[in-house]
Amino acid sequence: MKRVTLCALALAVPLAASAAPESYTLDPHHTYPHFAVEHLGVSLYWGRFDRSSGKFTIDRAAHKGTLELAVETASVSTGDNERGSRPRTLDEHLKSADFFNVAEFPRMTFKADSVTFAGDSPAEISGQLTLLGVTRPLTLKVERWVCKDHPFSKKPMCGGNASGALKRSDFGMKYGLAAVSDEVRLYVQFEGYKD
Amino acid sequence: MLELLDTLKGILANPIVQSSALPLLAGLVCAALLYPLRLEGLAALAGFLAAVFAIGNFGLEPLTATRKIVLLGGAAAVLGVLVDLAGRPTRYTGMAFGALFGAAALWVFAAVLRQKIPLDVAVTGAGAVALTAWLVAATVSLQYDSARAGAAGLGLGLGAGVAAVLGASALIGQYGMALGAACGGFLLLLLILGPRVSAGTALTLTAAVLGALLALGAVLLAQLHWTALAALALVPVAVRLPLPATPLWMKPVLACVYALIPAAGACAIAWLAPRGWAF
Repeated sequence: MKRVTLCALALAVPLAASAAPESYTLDPHHTYPHFAVEHLGVSLYWGRFDRSSGKFTIDRAAHKGTLELAVETASVSTGDNERGSRPRTLDEHLKSADFFNVAEFPRMTFKADSVTFAGDSPAEISGQLTLLGVTRPLTLKVERWVCKDHPFSKKPMCGGNASGALKRSDFGMKYGLAAVSDEVRLYVQFEGYKD
Repeated sequence: MLELLDTLKGILANPIVQSSALPLLAGLVCAALLYPLRLEGLAALAGFLAAVFAIGNFGLEPLTATRKIVLLGGAAAVLGVLVDLAGRPTRYTGMAFGALFGAAALWVFAAVLRQKIPLDVAVTGAGAVALTAWLVAATVSLQYDSARAGAAGLGLGLGAGVAAVLGASALIGQYGMALGAACGGFLLLLLILGPRVSAGTALTLTAAVLGALLALGAVLLAQLHWTALAALALVPVAVRLPLPATPLWMKPVLACVYALIPAAGACAIAWLAPRGWAF
């Protein structure tokens, strides 16, 4: 009986270890939230935030996970950042009180504690997005999820792509709704290293 | 009927209508309706609020700087009416309101100041208080001269508004131009009815508080160069230049010309500063 118990314990220990939640820190150089809006109902206009940080945890056995992402709104970038003969660039306009109001709200955050899984991989991340001081629910669909060791450093890493959509007017961003669509599509590329 | 409503909605959705024709009309109608009650000075607030309503930015949650500005504009109008109804304001009224709303400017921009280092907080905070206090004190002292008072409101509103648009904030720009247009509505009534029309503390305080805070907002929440504020600070001084007593229509018209000179200076700074001109 004693031998059977020892054998069971010996088998259970590694299983328990692998079932523990794993914590990852997002790599700011390979994690970028992108957004797309319709301009004048004609083209899909793209932009991204150059600076963000955060962490996520994943418990594959329990099918649970969390995500915390903080985005510096002043890092918004559309590529239109040279004034030329104009008094302002599009990036400067996006930073003003008309849109991201970066002087008052320098950060937007996404905190998620509900992750649904498809097999062993996360499929949907649901949480709360806080933008311009307003918090609303947001769900990101995980379109790509890969975990492996970094080919050179051999550090364990996970990453992928997720997307979602929100209405900017829900967050009080109502400027220019006739010209720039209310719906904002989000596309997040992310990579994180195991802590 | 539905088509007419849709057409009206379409017209009101136009940013130019929101910040010019609508507040001008609202200011004129409000001034004309309240003239028998000696409350025609509320034209500035009426026109401004009409624009805020059309732009769709009424609300208090979250209490952003631009929403605090709208709140303080309303508070200024209420205080102004109370002072006008209570009796003749003294020459210290403007100074007292200057100190009060100067301190309120710190509350409006508290979230912005919190992001700055202590030295910047001190310099920016002191500048915001000084500009607001000066504009309020200098403009409120024009309360008995309706032509100069209305022209100062028009100059402050248009100057802050156009400079804000050039400084990358269309929202603050629309608010500023709406203030200018509302004061224009008041001036139209003055042109029609003559010097019996009184600006009072209601108009001067509202125009000064909104003008000062919107100009500060264009600097702190957008990209307007701070030297444009110095030009706008000259608006209540410029309207004190000599004006002819007759013909009656000449006084408000010339006062507006005087007010628009420093306002145009602020816009020129907003235009030239991003192009490398040193101010």
